[in-house]
Amino acid sequence: MKRKPAMVQAAGQAAKGAPWVTGAMAAAIGASVVLALLPPLALESIVNGLAGGQGVPLSGALGYFALLAAAGLAEAAQNVTITIYGQKVTHWLRRAMCAKLDRLPAAYYAAQEPGAIASRLVSDVDAVDALFTNGILSMVADGCKVLSILAVIVWKSRGLGVLMLAVTPFLFWLTRRFQKRMLSAQMEHREAVARVNHCVPETIQNIRTIHTYGRQRYMEERYDRAVQQSYRAIERSNWYDALYSPIVVFTSACVVAVMMALAASGGAMRQWFGMEVGTAVAIIAYVSKVFEPLESIGMEIQNIQSAWAGIRRIDEFLAQPERPASRQDLTLEVLRRAPAAIRFQNVDFGYGEEPVLQGLSFTVEPGKTVTLVGRTGAGKSTAFRLLLGLYEPQGGQVTVCGQPAGAIPDRVKRGLFGYVEQSPRLVDGTVADQIALFDPAIGRQQVRQAAEQVGLHAAIEALEQGYDTPAREDLFSQGQLQLLSVARAIAADPPILLLDEMTANLDGQTEAAVLAALEQAAAHRTVLSISHRLYQGLGGRQIPIGGDCR
Amino acid sequence: MKQAALKMGPPDRIASYFRLQAPTVALITCTGVLYNVGMTAGPYFEGQLAQRLLDVMQGACTWADMARLAALYVAVIGLVQGLRCIKRFGVRHFANHTARAMRRVLYNNLVREGKAAMEQEDMGAWMTKALADVDACAEGMRKFTTELFDTGVVMLAYLAMLLWYDWRLTLLACLFTPAAYAIAGWLKGRVTQSSGAYKRSGEQLNRATLDRVSNGLLYRVYGREEGRDQAYEQRLQDYEKKAVAANLWENTMEPLYHIIVMSGVVLILYWGGRNVTGQGWSQWDLAAFTTFLACFAKLAAKSSKAARLFNAVQKAQVSWQRIRPRLGAVVHNPPPPAEEAGRELVVDHLSFAYPGGSPVLRDVSFRAKPGQIVGITGPVAAGKSTLGKAFLCERPYGGSIRLGGRELAEMTPGQRCASVGYLGHRPELMSDTIGENIRLGQPGDIGPSLAAAQLDREVAAMPLGEETPVGSQGVRLSGGQQARLALARTLYQSRPLVVLDDPFSAVDRQTEGKMLAALRQWGQGRVILLISHRLDRFPQLDQVVWLADGASDAGTHAELMERQPLYRQLFLQQQQGGDLDEA
Repeated sequence: MKRKPAMVQAAGQAAKGAPWVTGAMAAAIGASVVLALLPPLALESIVNGLAGGQGVPLSGALGYFALLAAAGLAEAAQNVTITIYGQKVTHWLRRAMCAKLDRLPAAYYAAQEPGAIASRLVSDVDAVDALFTNGILSMVADGCKVLSILAVIVWKSRGLGVLMLAVTPFLFWLTRRFQKRMLSAQMEHREAVARVNHCVPETIQNIRTIHTYGRQRYMEERYDRAVQQSYRAIERSNWYDALYSPIVVFTSACVVAVMMALAASGGAMRQWFGMEVGTAVAIIAYVSKVFEPLESIGMEIQNIQSAWAGIRRIDEFLAQPERPASRQDLTLEVLRRAPAAIRFQNVDFGYGEEPVLQGLSFTVEPGKTVTLVGRTGAGKSTAFRLLLGLYEPQGGQVTVCGQPAGAIPDRVKRGLFGYVEQSPRLVDGTVADQIALFDPAIGRQQVRQAAEQVGLHAAIEALEQGYDTPAREDLFSQGQLQLLSVARAIAADPPILLLDEMTANLDGQTEAAVLAALEQAAAHRTVLSISHRLYQGLGGRQIPIGGDCR
Repeated sequence: MKQAALKMGPPDRIASYFRLQAPTVALITCTGVLYNVGMTAGPYFEGQLAQRLLDVMQGACTWADMARLAALYVAVIGLVQGLRCIKRFGVRHFANHTARAMRRVLYNNLVREGKAAMEQEDMGAWMTKALADVDACAEGMRKFTTELFDTGVVMLAYLAMLLWYDWRLTLLACLFTPAAYAIAGWLKGRVTQSSGAYKRSGEQLNRATLDRVSNGLLYRVYGREEGRDQAYEQRLQDYEKKAVAANLWENTMEPLYHIIVMSGVVLILYWGGRNVTGQGWSQWDLAAFTTFLACFAKLAAKSSKAARLFNAVQKAQVSWQRIRPRLGAVVHNPPPPAEEAGRELVVDHLSFAYPGGSPVLRDVSFRAKPGQIVGITGPVAAGKSTLGKAFLCERPYGGSIRLGGRELAEMTPGQRCASVGYLGHRPELMSDTIGENIRLGQPGDIGPSLAAAQLDREVAAMPLGEETPVGSQGVRLSGGQQARLALARTLYQSRPLVVLDDPFSAVDRQTEGKMLAALRQWGQGRVILLISHRLDRFPQLDQVVWLADGASDAGTHAELMERQPLYRQLFLQQQQGGDLDEA
């Protein structure tokens, strides 16, 4: 099945969602096309009158002004309606992209920088937005204006019409050529900007290493490579941008000059170009009106190019392969009725060519605690990812509560597993949100309970706004962050607890507190752990994993 | 390339960027003035052409006169547009150059910012904003230089031409312009308000996007993706509303100003017509009438856009004020001098406290000879990691740390970084290849370092070998591989004093043993401080420092087993647990 380009879908959906706006937009564009034709015609009759020795009547002057004002207002209405419509389109695009995030496989997240994914939703769609605010639709309107003016020109002076028709293909060819060159420059620039933006968080995260080894200069050079790439790409597109508009204006002058020369030549040519002085003045105004839109295409060419690049990247993103659907009929009730056992049966798995797990089999009985041990890289974390349904096993089966892990719908997972991460991270919200993860089913009471269970309640209450304090990294120590993630895991009271390796080296009594909180959380639950640091506290069985763990 | 950034004036002054590009700015000025004065040629020649056509039709002139005039017209326009092309490229080049210079300065400052300062504020978010601000500044400077000529100069040129044709009529026709400006000033508050709200909504949307993406998998395993999508949809709705409102204000104002300014055209048509028929203030022919009218229309179009000039400058100003404090002087430290190995470490009555906190270290003393490996351990919260970080001098310490007789705190940063190597809990990897993460730009053979860190076999098994990219923060490697890669880097960047904070946390005991043997061999002539809470290899170390309550006791393993009951207890406990862990 071939997917429709995202832009086409978005444009259609926006039109369907807001027919009123779309209608108003069409009307405004129509009005501005027609009204743009009228003032030069009025001017023609005024100048012709003057050439005949008559003055300008006040009514004529007022009429001309009224036409100008009407054309201006129509243009304003056109811009406004286009903006509204454009916002609807970009809104739809962002919504579709956000929904796509749900369906992307975990492997996609592992392979891409978060900043790069976010920039598709932010910068790329912004570029499309710019297309509407001052780009494509006004150009369509401009195109209509050009056509209608050409019609008037042919009617007034057939010779000039032929002249214009001869020049237009040249300008079209020129525009296409410039477009292509600039598109490639734009693409390169965007890539470079993404790299520049990535350099910054990396530098901040690695600043200690950079300072320790005095690698400031080296980092600057790395950064400079990206900056330099973007600089060169912009410089290239600058050339085209600088050239385009002057060429168009010059062409317009040539057309006017040829027209005037031929109109004055007499004979057959005179027949073709024959016109009165007033007509000549009006026609000069028209010629510049034909070239104005072309010029504005030149002005906006950069916007259009970057929007085009953005659209391509959006399409690429939306065309990413999706993860298999889970079984939506599985409910939490069904799953919780079954014993909370975890079973790996002959599981094979690898991220690429290299197998990570081969024939892994083990069972965790309900209410029991098991620690996976093995050398690093043996696949302990991988086993977790399979269990959480983030990846599908390539052979064998992983079951939780009797169901294949991959079939369990996301929305019931929280009632089933609590997952304590390796290095917990904050989400964008209040302290309470860190625990509830914005889950409306988890009220303040449960948040509080979870915090009390891990011994964080007092510390949170001591914050300026208690649970409603906006969360920042510096509010918490590493240990407290770990505790928050334990609270997050147990807030929905799941029967199964998954404990990842804790990499944070906990200072202070917090390490003891984390251990105590985990021990308490582990009671009455099925626990699978891969942390040897926790093993002593948790007890239970150990299962070796990976061939050469000895 | 680097020199460009070096030679500039103070980076927090706008003028520095103009001076940096003095030849370009001069070129822009010349071509800008010439082109814009030349802009009056268009209306002038168009009037002349119409008049000449009338003359030809009335038989006063010949076709050849017309052809000559037309040729002249084309030549003049060609010249003017040529100037314009140069000016346009100059302005863009200038903006591009400025953005690059600002980016370099910002990064130069960032990479030299201390760890302590970075922890205090959210540098990441700030820098991302700053990079956008750089674009806004450069764009503002481009627009300002563009508009200065294309609006300022050209308006003066048009006005002068109008005045020359008929000064009374010009003054009358331009009477409406101040009215447009008055309305613009009056509405400015509304415009800024709505565009401010739009911008804020955009920032919130960006934050929500980043959160939604970077915590994507977390939300997935907690089944919160749908919920977050709904929250995101609310942000989107708010953003759409604010965007439409802001655009409404911005888009409708300009045509309105234009209409007000253009109302002068009624007077021009009426009085200008009288001029042509000989009843007005001046004697005009048809050429004068057409030129005057065309010229006025162009002036009106420009003056209704003059507001854009101020808007662009204002926007740029806001951005400039935000990044200005960050544009400190550009620093280029010299590369660290050659290291001197074989230096003795003496730590004497060392104390340390975080600002506003109680002391973590009160009295720590020990000494280590070159070639020694010193284990540092203690109960939880004893300040092990803090002791390790003290050697980095990120914050001031009390007492003394001397290496080869020189106080660490009194060394220059360059000397210090040639002396101390450090490996913390976080591997701090770059999104680059394995090889580059170890070399950090210093060419050499990384084989021995990989082998010592027990990473050589795994790297050899990778299809790309040491050219394998590790991904952002090393995500493509497992946690243990990341830690060992960081260790390999530490060994490669050899220093006389090396602090390893818990280097074995993510490896099994067998690997740990091999690593220790490799460290022993590598560490000849160096002092290695090994911070760990796993004690089973401590009997093999030359010395053990026991930290408790911020104070230290240094001795051999055997001595501490006798002197420190808690050390003894921990050691024996781990000996028992160790068998189980070996699996």
